[in-house]
Amino acid sequence: MDHIGEVIESSTKGFVAHSPRVGESPSFGSFVKTDSSPVVYGLVYEIITQSSEPGRRPTAYDMSMDELKREQPQIFELLKTEFHVLTLAHTDSKKLNFTLSPLPPPIHSFIYECTDKEKKELSEQDFFLRTIMSSSNVPVDDLLISSLYHASTVRKDDSEYIVRMGKSLSRYFKDDYERLSSILRRVLY
Amino acid sequence: MLKFHLIKSQIDGMLGERRHFVDEFGEKIKLAQSELHNKSKNWEELSQKVDKSKTSWLLAGISSPLNTTSPLPKRPSNYTAISSDGSQIFPDRHEALPCYLINISSIILNYGDNSGANLSSDPVLFYKEQDRFTLWDGKKIPANSEVISHRRTLMEFERLLDLVKETNGRENIISISDGTLILWRLEGTPSDFKSGVLEPFLNIMEELKSRRVPIVGYISSPGSADVINALRLGLCPEKVSYCNQCPYTELPKLPCAHVEGLTDNNLFSRVLKQGERSAVFRSSSRILESYGDHHIYFFYINIGEEIARVEIPKWVAEDNKLLALAHTLVYDQAKKGKGYPVAIAEAHEQAVVKGKDRNFFFDLIKESMVKADFNVTISRKGLSKRVPGV
Repeated sequence: MDHIGEVIESSTKGFVAHSPRVGESPSFGSFVKTDSSPVVYGLVYEIITQSSEPGRRPTAYDMSMDELKREQPQIFELLKTEFHVLTLAHTDSKKLNFTLSPLPPPIHSFIYECTDKEKKELSEQDFFLRTIMSSSNVPVDDLLISSLYHASTVRKDDSEYIVRMGKSLSRYFKDDYERLSSILRRVLY
Repeated sequence: MLKFHLIKSQIDGMLGERRHFVDEFGEKIKLAQSELHNKSKNWEELSQKVDKSKTSWLLAGISSPLNTTSPLPKRPSNYTAISSDGSQIFPDRHEALPCYLINISSIILNYGDNSGANLSSDPVLFYKEQDRFTLWDGKKIPANSEVISHRRTLMEFERLLDLVKETNGRENIISISDGTLILWRLEGTPSDFKSGVLEPFLNIMEELKSRRVPIVGYISSPGSADVINALRLGLCPEKVSYCNQCPYTELPKLPCAHVEGLTDNNLFSRVLKQGERSAVFRSSSRILESYGDHHIYFFYINIGEEIARVEIPKWVAEDNKLLALAHTLVYDQAKKGKGYPVAIAEAHEQAVVKGKDRNFFFDLIKESMVKADFNVTISRKGLSKRVPGV
């Protein structure tokens, strides 16, 4: 399996990865892991494509993507795509541990998409929802919705799952009915 | 420390001088335009006068009517633009070790089918005895900024040729160099040094010629006046002019002074429509006497945003197919780069070494020396610049 990113900034609460191809990234809310030891698991919560050189900004060319590729091929070499990951869990002697990793993943660790089995394990309990809700600087509501979407796609036959997670959310949002309602309606849409 | 309040009055003085030029500019440019037209009728006559005269200025060699303009040829849908640029960190004797660095960029831009881009740069550190010294009139002298600049120029052309070899098999390749192809700075250098640069340079040109890959030197907003100077010669009443024996020095204004001060850029911005190029002229720079088959010719082109001077070797100037290819691809490159050829703009971006890179480079050397247990000593002057006291 090819890696989908390489860690270029690393901290305890999360990390930033550089995508090997401009414009390509694991999708928002998807579960990813590092190839480091311990393995660190997380959720993609921000994807940015921009100029790879500070001081140079992309400008409009008024061309279709195909035309741009034929006539301005250099611009694709001057852009970069990076994605930000919120740490959810790490492995501790083969066991999945739903706490922050004792050490952040080393810079230049490769990032891979989680397998269906790992996605199931990471989302089996509601810890990931709690982590999202207690994080600052992440789009909390949208990340809850997208991560639940990714978690439910690996449980096609388990209709109880969304109900179970919905109940967890209702506990977390017991003081904010409007917000809970907005999230749940979008989860079920 | 620059005292700006002392500069302001000098700037005003400079603008005062400029105003005289602006006042006369309208008349001068009108005369230059009509002379360009008039002298085109008997252009052979002026061409012969240019060849025979001895002036103190560079004259454009003429081989067609001066006011000829050529429309933009159709661009091939597939083509490849190649460029390279260089940047350097000069040696600093106040730093820890005597060495210097040259960073050379590589640009290959493939357009049309199988499009794509390769942008990169490679730094080379020069520290060996043979790098740090050069033969200069039989003597071994330390490589100074002039020597290093020539070495860099040569490396840029070597890289251009390497890139051309890499693109083997592609059609319609153009190699574009930033600035002139006339190595006029070599004039006045001793023959041992001159041949050390010129011979490999001309070998590269020969190889490009055999591969039929046009090389162009692109000069944005040129300040040259070779064509204007030819018109000045045309205004001189002498049959053959010898400036050092000028019989008109007693007159209040020399006959040739009526278009003096104009540039070819001023003239051709009024002659060329967007996309058009001027006639091809021959440069009379002295260093070109050594260029042989690669003598440099040039034309002006209106790329829309400005007039540019495009220099080409003789074998491109005399080959209509290569000339048309150079014309259309230079224009396309400039359009893609919003007024400046994208290949050379990217070559610069890849090659550039900024001030903070330079400081980091010398810090890296010192740090590596300390780690390797070397004594690091830098001059008191170097120290004083780093930590100025009060």
